[in-house]
Amino acid sequence: MSRLASGGLIDRTRRLRFTWDGKALEGYHGDTLASALLANDVRLVARSFKYHRPRGILTAGAEEPNALVTLGSGAHADPNTPATTVPLTDGLVATSQNRWPSLRHDVMAVNQFASPIFVAGFYYKTFMWPKKAWEKLYEPLIRRAAGLGALSGLPDPDSYDREHAFCDLLVIGGGPAGLSAALAAGRAGLRVILADDGLEPGGWLLSCRDTIAGQTASNWARIAVAELGIMANVRVLPHTTIFGIYDGCEYAGVQHLGAGQPEPGQPRQRLWKIIASRALLATGAMERPIIFGGNDRPGVMMASAASSYVNHFAVAPGRRAVVFTATDSGWQTARDLIGAGVEVAAVVDPRGGGVPVDMAGIRRVRGLVRDVRGSAVRGADIATPDGKVERIDCDLVAMSGGWNPAIGLAAHLGQKPVWSEAIQSFLPGALPPGLAAIGAASGQFALGAILAQAHGAAAALAETLGAGGHAGEPSVAEDEACGVAPCWHVAGARTKAFVDFQHDVTDADVALAAREGYVSVEHMKRYTTLGMATDQGRTGQLNGHALLAAATGKTVAEAGTIRARPPAQPVAIGVLAGHHRDEAFRPARLAPSHGWATALGASFTDAGQWKRAQWYAQPHESDWLETVNREVLATRNAVGFCDVSTLGKIDVLGPDAGALLDRLYINTFSTLAVGKARYGVMLREDGMVMDDGTTTRFAEDNFFLTTTTANAARVLQHIDFARSVLWPDLDVQATSTTEHWATFSVAGPQSRALLADLLPEIDLSNAALPYMGARRFRWNGISARIYRLSFSGELAYEISVPADHGPALAQALHEAGATPYGTEALGVMRIEKGHPAGNELNGQTTAADLGFGRMMAKKKDFIGKVMAQRPGLTDPARPALVGLKPVDRAQRIRAGAHLLPVGAKPVAANDQGHVTSACFSPTLGHAIALGLLAHGPSRHGEQVVVHDPVRGADVLAEVCDPVFVDPEGVRLRG
Amino acid sequence: MGDGLEISEVTGLGLVAVMARKGVGAEAIGQRLGLAPGLAAPATPHWVGDGALALIGTGPGSWLARSEAPTAEWAETVIERLAGLASATDVSASYRVFRLSGGDAARLLQRGAFVDLATPAFAPGSVAVTVIAHIGVIIRQIDETSFDVSVFRSLGESFHHWLTTAAATL
Repeated sequence: MSRLASGGLIDRTRRLRFTWDGKALEGYHGDTLASALLANDVRLVARSFKYHRPRGILTAGAEEPNALVTLGSGAHADPNTPATTVPLTDGLVATSQNRWPSLRHDVMAVNQFASPIFVAGFYYKTFMWPKKAWEKLYEPLIRRAAGLGALSGLPDPDSYDREHAFCDLLVIGGGPAGLSAALAAGRAGLRVILADDGLEPGGWLLSCRDTIAGQTASNWARIAVAELGIMANVRVLPHTTIFGIYDGCEYAGVQHLGAGQPEPGQPRQRLWKIIASRALLATGAMERPIIFGGNDRPGVMMASAASSYVNHFAVAPGRRAVVFTATDSGWQTARDLIGAGVEVAAVVDPRGGGVPVDMAGIRRVRGLVRDVRGSAVRGADIATPDGKVERIDCDLVAMSGGWNPAIGLAAHLGQKPVWSEAIQSFLPGALPPGLAAIGAASGQFALGAILAQAHGAAAALAETLGAGGHAGEPSVAEDEACGVAPCWHVAGARTKAFVDFQHDVTDADVALAAREGYVSVEHMKRYTTLGMATDQGRTGQLNGHALLAAATGKTVAEAGTIRARPPAQPVAIGVLAGHHRDEAFRPARLAPSHGWATALGASFTDAGQWKRAQWYAQPHESDWLETVNREVLATRNAVGFCDVSTLGKIDVLGPDAGALLDRLYINTFSTLAVGKARYGVMLREDGMVMDDGTTTRFAEDNFFLTTTTANAARVLQHIDFARSVLWPDLDVQATSTTEHWATFSVAGPQSRALLADLLPEIDLSNAALPYMGARRFRWNGISARIYRLSFSGELAYEISVPADHGPALAQALHEAGATPYGTEALGVMRIEKGHPAGNELNGQTTAADLGFGRMMAKKKDFIGKVMAQRPGLTDPARPALVGLKPVDRAQRIRAGAHLLPVGAKPVAANDQGHVTSACFSPTLGHAIALGLLAHGPSRHGEQVVVHDPVRGADVLAEVCDPVFVDPEGVRLRG
Repeated sequence: MGDGLEISEVTGLGLVAVMARKGVGAEAIGQRLGLAPGLAAPATPHWVGDGALALIGTGPGSWLARSEAPTAEWAETVIERLAGLASATDVSASYRVFRLSGGDAARLLQRGAFVDLATPAFAPGSVAVTVIAHIGVIIRQIDETSFDVSVFRSLGESFHHWLTTAAATL
C-alpha cells in the first residue's frame, strides 16, 4: 500500500470497496479512482491508442490523457472516463480498455515494434488501394486495433435533465481565483453562479500546502464555499464543467450528479444553459510535460499531480523520485514528496542555481532527463551540460515543463490566444463579450496576487453592474516563487518520446510532419492527430507546437496555437437529449377523440406531430385492408364519421380580411356570401401550390379558413407575414383555432337522417343548408358549427364543437349508428374522388398540374401569380393529374412507380411521370391510382406502363379521369 | 416530488384571443372590456385583472381575455363588446392550463423555460410566451409561489409527461 499514514482530505472513517479488472480493492471516501488505484500500488492502468504501450496515471485532473477506463458494466458501462475525475464510490466497477486478452499481456503491444511504419500519415499513405477495401477491410481492422473503450450498445438506463439559469456573474472555476471573486461579488450583492468541475470546489487549494489568512489553503476553501452556500444570491454548482461559450453571453455546462452514482430516480447528469451578463474565467492552468525518452511510462507523472496525490489524497505515487523541472513549482513538489516521506533522489533542473535553504541535503542536478528506463519507471538517465549521462534509480519521475493557462473556453467565439514570453505560454487575447480572465488563466500564478486580483476584478464588476453591497477585503496569502524557463524537448533520447500521450504522437511524428510540409499548427494537428480525441491534447499540444516551431525555424509565438472549439470536455449525447428520448423524443399532439378512439381499439399513425386514428379494427377482422374496406363501404352505403380536427383552422378577421384572402388565394373570397364556404388554393411566391382548403364566411369581417394538417403552422406564418410585412396597411388579424374545435366529418347517404335525429334543432334540408353552406348553432348549450362539406364525395357534414366536448360528440355519433373510420379509409375515399392531398401537393406541382388552372383569377393579383406564368410552369407537357386503373383489374398499382409509354425502354429519358397515390377501391372492386402524367388530361383512354423496378413487375394501366366515383357530384349534393 | 410543489389543472375557463384592430391602443381595449378604471390592457408581457376578467399580454397588440367562471355567453359577449376595436375569437377549449403552486414551482418551471423566472425579471403579474420541452407555453405568474402554464390542448399529455418527469427529480 502506498497510502500515507496521515494527512490528505480523505475520510478515513469511510472505507469504500471497488473492483479494478475484477480484483477487489479498497479506498476511502474522498478518493478518486486514480488516487485509490495508486494507493493500491496499481500503476499500469491502460494501453495506449496506437502502440498499446503500457500507461499509468499522468495527472490528477480532467486533462488526463492516459488513464481512461470503463466504469460500470452491461448497459451502465461508460467508456473513456479519466480515472482522475471519477469519485470513488462503494461498489464501483472499473475496467481497463483497449487491451486483449488482459492489461498486462496485451497482444497488440507488438504494434510498438512495428512503429517505424506506424508513423504519422501511415494510414493515408498505405491504405490507398484497392479503393473498395477501405470500407470493408482496412477501416474495420484499423478501428479494432487502434481505439479507446467500447460502448455497451444497449439503451442507456440512466436519465438526464436540463436546467436554465440567469445571473449577473458566472465564475468558471472554483480555485483560489474563482472563490475569491465569487466571495467579493456575492458579498457585494451580485447574482452569482460559481461552476467548478472538481468533485469539491477548491481547485489547487486542495492540493497545496500554502496558507491563506492564517489557515491551510484547503480549510480556507471549505470556509469560503460554506460562506457562498449561505448567500441567497449565490449558487454554487459543484462537479459542473462549463463546456461551451455561445453567442448572447450563453454558457453551457454539464453537472455530474450524485458524486458518480445517481440517486435512484435521479438524473445522472444535468445540462445547464446559463445566461450571464458577465463571466470570469478562473479555470486555472495545466502543467505541461517535457518531451524525453519514455516520458509515457507508468511512473512518469506531472509534478503537480504528484503533489496532489500526496497532499490531497495522502498517497505516495512512488518510493524514490526524480523531479525533473524547469519551474519553481517543481521544487515545491520535491518539498511535498520529502514531507510525505518519499525519497527525492535528485531534482533535475536545466536552470542553474542552488538548493533552497529549506531543502538542504537534496541533490540538485543541472541537466535534463533524457530517458527513463523500464517498462514502468526503474531509473532515469540524466544528461548534464558537460555531455555526461548519469543513471539514477527511481520509480517516479515528476516532471514540470511549465504551466499552460486553461483558456480553451476563451477561444470558443473565434478569439485567438496570444503568446506570453513571461510565462512561456499562451494567454487569452481578445475575449468573448462579457468574459474576463483571472488567476492562473490570466497568467497570474502567485497565490497572494491571485486572491487580490480576482477580488479586485469582481469588486469592480459589482460596481459597474450597480450592486449595492460591499465586496469586503481580499484574503491574504504569500506569493510563492513561480519562475519558469523554456524547456520543451530533450534532444538525443534513445527511446520513444511522446508529445501527445493519448494519440501516441511522438517528437519524430512532428518532425516528419514538418519535413512533409505540414508547417501550420492546424495542418500538423490533422496530419499527426496531435491534440485530437477525448483529452484534446490538453497536456501535450503546446509542446507539439513548440517542436514544430523549432523544426520550421519559427518562434512559438510565430507558429501560434490552435483555437479550441466547444465542447471543452466530451459531453454525453444523452445529456444533450435530456428528456427527449423514447416516447418523449418529440411532443405528440393528440386529437380530441384520441382517448375515445383508444378505448375502441383504434390503431394510430403519425401525421406530423399528430397521432391520428388510422383504422378501427374489429376483433373478427384478419388484416387492415379488410377493416379499411369495411369502413369505406359503411360510409359509401350508410354513414361513417372521422375525426378531422387536425386540419389547420385559422380565424381571419377584420375589415380587410376579404381583401387579404383575395391576395393569398388564387380564387376570390371577398365575394363569398356570409354562411357559405368555398374551396381555395394558395401558391407560394414561386408559383407552386402551397396549400388548399375551404374557407367559410361567418360575417362581413369574419372568415374561417382551413388548411391541410401538415401545413397548418406554415399557412398561419404565411398569413402573418402577408398582413404584417407585405401589406401592413390592411386592417386584418389572424389567430389559430385549430386547438379550439373538435371537428368530425359525418359522411354517407344516411348522414342527414342520422344528424336530424342527433341535432333536431337544425334544419338540414338542402334549402336550409345546401352544399357548401355553414351555420352556427348550439349543441347541448355549447357553441357549435355545422358545415356542408365533403371530402369523401358523399352527402356529408362537418360538425365542430369545443375540443373538450369532442369525446362526447364522438360517442354520440357512434351511438347513433355511424361507423368510425380512420385516415386510411379517408385516403381511399379521397383517391376515389380524385382529390389531391399531400402526395400531390408536394411542392413541385402548379395549380394547373392539379386541375385547378381555371380557378386562377385573371382580374386580380395574388401571391405566386406572376411566377406561375413562367414558361416552365405553363408548359402543357408538364405532368398533370390523371387517374389510373390496371387493365387487368386483378393487378395492383403502387405509389412511387414510374409511368412509361407502352413499349418504351425503362430509362429516365422515357419517363413521363409517376404514381402519386394508390389504393384498393372497395367501391369499384379493383386497384386505382392518381398520378402525374405528361399531357395527362388529354390522354384519358390511353394505356401506359406502370414501371416499378424496386417492388415488382410492370403493370399495364389505363389513363382516366381522376374522379373515379360519382363524377357528376350527385351524391354530395343529395 | 418535492414538498413545495402542487400541480393541478384549471378547467372550465373562458378564454378569448383578442387582437387590436389597426391603430387601436391598449387603453381603449381595457376600457371597453370594463377593467378597473384607468387600467389598460397590458402593453408588455404582463397580465392585469382578476378571476372574473383578466387580460394576459401575449404579444404586440394581442391578449388572452380570461374568466374563471364564464357564463355560456361570456365569450360571445366579450367578442361583441370589442366590436370595431379588436378582432376576437373564442379559444376557451384551445388550452389546457396547469397550475403549479409552492416553493418549488419556479424551480421546476426554470428547468423547462429558458427565460429568467426570478424576481425582479419575473414577478407576480408577469407573463412569458415561450417553449418548454419543445412545447409552446404561456406562463403567467399569479403570486409569489403560483404559476399558470397554458399549453395547446393536443399537447397537454406530452407536457404533463414532462411536468411529472421533471418534478420527480426536484
